[in-house]
Amino acid sequence: MTTTGTDVAGGAVGAAARAVELTKVFGEGDAAVRALDGISVAFEGGRFTAIMGPSGSGKSTLLHCMAGLDSPTDGRVFIGDVDLTSLSERQLTLLRREKVGFVFQTFNLVTTLTAAENITLPLDIAGDKPDPGWFDQVVDSVRLRDRLKHRPSELSGGQQQRVAGARALVSRPEIVFADEPTGNLDSRSGAELLGFLRSAVDDHGQTIVMVTHDARAASYADRVVFLDDGRIVDEMIEPTTERVLDELKKLET
Amino acid sequence: MWRATWKSLLAKKLRLALTTFAIVLGVGFMAGTYVLTDTMNVVFEDIFTTSLSDTDVLVRAESAFAPTAAGPGGGGTEGRDPIPESLLETVAAVDGVERAWGDVSGYAQFVDPATGDAIGGVGPPTFGTSYDPASGFLELRDGEPPQGVDEVAVDAGTAERYGLEVGQRIQILFEGPSREFTIAGIYGFGDSDNIAGATAAIFDLETAQEVLGKQGALDAINAKAVTGVSPTELRARIDAVLPDIAEAVTATTVAAELTDLLTEALGFFRTALLVFAFVALFVASFIIFNTFSIITAQRTRELALLRAIGATQRQVTASVLGEAAIVGLVASAIGLGVGILIALGLKSILSAFGVDLPAAGLTIVPRTVVVSIVVGTIVTVVASFVPARRAARVPPVEALREGQPVLTGAPLHRRLVWGLVVTLLGLGALAFGLFGESEVAGQAIGLGAAVTFLGIAMLSPLVARPVARLLGAPLTRLGVPGRLGRENAMRNPRRTAATASALMIGLGLVAMVTILAASLKGSLDAALEETLRADLTLTTSTFSPFSPQVADAVRAVPEVEAVSEFRQNGFRFNGSTAFITAVDPGTIEQVATLDMEEGTVGALSQGSILVHRDVAEDNGLAIGSTVELAFPATGERDFVVGGIFGENRLVGDWVLSISAYEQLYTEQLDFYVLVKGAEGMAPAELERAVSQAVESYPNIEVQDQAAFREQQAGFIDQLLGLVTALLLFAVIIALFGIVNTLGLSIFERTHEIGLLRAVGMTRGQVRGMIRWESVIIAIYGALLGIAIGIFFGYALQQALASEGLTELTIPGVQLAIYLVLAGIAGVLAAVFPARRAARLNVLEAISYE
Repeated sequence: MTTTGTDVAGGAVGAAARAVELTKVFGEGDAAVRALDGISVAFEGGRFTAIMGPSGSGKSTLLHCMAGLDSPTDGRVFIGDVDLTSLSERQLTLLRREKVGFVFQTFNLVTTLTAAENITLPLDIAGDKPDPGWFDQVVDSVRLRDRLKHRPSELSGGQQQRVAGARALVSRPEIVFADEPTGNLDSRSGAELLGFLRSAVDDHGQTIVMVTHDARAASYADRVVFLDDGRIVDEMIEPTTERVLDELKKLET
Repeated sequence: MWRATWKSLLAKKLRLALTTFAIVLGVGFMAGTYVLTDTMNVVFEDIFTTSLSDTDVLVRAESAFAPTAAGPGGGGTEGRDPIPESLLETVAAVDGVERAWGDVSGYAQFVDPATGDAIGGVGPPTFGTSYDPASGFLELRDGEPPQGVDEVAVDAGTAERYGLEVGQRIQILFEGPSREFTIAGIYGFGDSDNIAGATAAIFDLETAQEVLGKQGALDAINAKAVTGVSPTELRARIDAVLPDIAEAVTATTVAAELTDLLTEALGFFRTALLVFAFVALFVASFIIFNTFSIITAQRTRELALLRAIGATQRQVTASVLGEAAIVGLVASAIGLGVGILIALGLKSILSAFGVDLPAAGLTIVPRTVVVSIVVGTIVTVVASFVPARRAARVPPVEALREGQPVLTGAPLHRRLVWGLVVTLLGLGALAFGLFGESEVAGQAIGLGAAVTFLGIAMLSPLVARPVARLLGAPLTRLGVPGRLGRENAMRNPRRTAATASALMIGLGLVAMVTILAASLKGSLDAALEETLRADLTLTTSTFSPFSPQVADAVRAVPEVEAVSEFRQNGFRFNGSTAFITAVDPGTIEQVATLDMEEGTVGALSQGSILVHRDVAEDNGLAIGSTVELAFPATGERDFVVGGIFGENRLVGDWVLSISAYEQLYTEQLDFYVLVKGAEGMAPAELERAVSQAVESYPNIEVQDQAAFREQQAGFIDQLLGLVTALLLFAVIIALFGIVNTLGLSIFERTHEIGLLRAVGMTRGQVRGMIRWESVIIAIYGALLGIAIGIFFGYALQQALASEGLTELTIPGVQLAIYLVLAGIAGVLAAVFPARRAARLNVLEAISYE
């Protein structure tokens, strides 16, 4: 089933995160660029959503605004029932710490900390203790048990991204945002990471929103939202690599 | 290639600005020193010229040697006998003399009418002088010239400072009885309000002769030649008619003598200040080294690219050195400007101490400009040499490699070897300077200390990581910011060590000076404990000499058993100047213990002298040896050594009797008077009786032993404070080094800080992280510095033990305070970098390049 994105209701009750009439303009005057043009979108809890679109479509900007890393020019953003646009800088920071998990494309880890310390970093920053059972479970699911004492420089790229994935999950956030998490990985490592994210959704009901430009990565998601020119142009439930590729081809023409 | 240099410079404006600041301060200090001392030189030369403007030939007593700049402080010690006033007529009668007039001068000290305290005496002399109506030197600013026995004129500087006005009554202290006068006028000296802070009481000639104890005598006769007779010719004519005791010299000669004295005195002052300027520059060189290391490390890929497209290693080195040269040049030029401001600042500090320099411009000679720019630039280039070489060794392939390339310095084992070699060389030079009794001991000690610091700085990266780990251990309990701060301090031990090294040098010297001062106090105390038997000590608060009538007044007090006075003055032995102390052999043993090793104090009464055992040893003297001493006023005299004494704090190396002293020196002033009370006399009662007896001498302080010792310790503390203040320059530069390193490190860790912020680190926590890193670096530097300071202090004390520095005192509390202050300084140094880190835009920080 495909629908045009513009009429997707932004106010779905029970969504883990949603945006209402979200607009983001970079620059001013003649140089102004509308990266997001009044987007309304909801991300359901316990689902894995992928955001796709050509370069400059605004997909990363959408993720940054949703995650409280960037402030929208207009519109509102909710994580659960919390309106991010009403929060102060400090409240946003605390929200990211408590309710949001992150996996970035690069620079995911603090080089002076071991893998274990990187995993528990958000909890440590908050001064919380990790739940040992959950920590073990997460570590085992990313198969890093024997790498916990290692520093990032001693880990492969795939291992580093899995550490980042474990870190995103260990604090049981309401939602995990992943920004091109496999962008720098070879296909095997990428598949491993995506499998891990998938199982987090299937086994633990984790909500994940991932920006990617890779159709194969998107095929791991339950739903794909397509962006172009700062608007949602389409979406796809139960995507497969082929269908996503077809859709992308359509967008490019 | 040069284009790349320029671009790279412009791209790093802010980073370089901080580096520049280190050089600016160092060069500024140096330039300021030159400008100030040159200015003083010009001002005083001007005063000499003006004061002699009417004089062609000067007649004065023959002297065995010219007094030196380092002569006894205070008083109007001119070091020559007066000449009979009758010579004035002889001189005036010489053919070719248009006019001749006489001068006298000597000790005279004002008493502030407002407070009753004596004025001045700290450094600049307090003098009284006669006034010649025809002299153009004194410039009447207010009132009338002083006339008669009841009138005095005051220099404008003193009048201004103490609010003295024409018509006011004022008490003046002399060698003889003190007297009251009416202020008739106020004088300036050309453009100056006073002469180098000296206070001047100006009388007419007759009054001056009377109050200065020079009736019928003159200190000098000035003669002006008629037109057509040259000063040289007139000098010869006058000299021909003079008796043996007097000599005639041209005004030019006198001016040259005065200028030499001045140059010597200012030279000492200049050298002392320059030492501190070089310390500041030395510290600055560490900052430069560190900044260029970090900057080139951050530019590795760019440098590798330059290499890849065909730049030779030499070209890369030259490019980095060129950058350093430009930075050095610009910074030195700014430093020169800052130096002028510093000179102005020092000038106003001097004027706060009463040394007035005329408002007229500062003297900036080409030497100042050239030396400042050359030294500043060379220091910068030399300090950046190692980073430049390291940059050139980047393999071109680094340009293509993924991830942050790492520039590595020499392997650690090589660093260990070289560091040890350099350290040992430094220690060797230090030991040679301290114990080698060499002529260049001072230079050897300075060089040795600098090289030792360098060696330790080279070794410091080897221990930086474990020490930072240890120092940061308590921080891990403070959560992630503390833990990450510690990790960051450990992350790059070379950087941490180099940053800390700058602080190490500053604090090392401060700690050393503190230990020396404490040891000096301890030694002094111990020595006084052993030697001082007197109940009361009479001195002036400023240790300026005072009238012998004070001792006479105390002798009249019935509660007193013994009064013993001490005088001191300069003389020459074997061509170098030394000081001799005059004591009263009849009473000294009642008030002090002269640790006699051979002979007795009684030998003084036979006209013999006593010498310190070191003097005896160095010159092969024994009881009965004859030595020839030269005195400024009275020439050479033979003395027999009558005794040899050991360590002693009350007298110097040479001692003679008061009665011998009276025949050798013109001016008779006491430096201190020791008083022993009668048997069974209550201390408080004795003090009251003595204080009452000297009531008319407001400059005299009556102190019991404890107070006297406290006063002595106070002098040392003052000196310590001054030296520490001058070293503070270096410490401030070192703190800027921390600011700079933190700033560069934060720039390097932009992504990491962004990530931390993204996963929920608050701005406060980011600031905390940077702050703790800074504190660890600062405390590491302080610890190293204090350790080296203790070692240097110990070595100096050992070397000076035979000079009386017998006790080694390590003021633990004081050093602990320094450590705490270093920690606080670390917090302050982190303020700006931390703020910058906390404000990093999270998105920009985590976005892929």
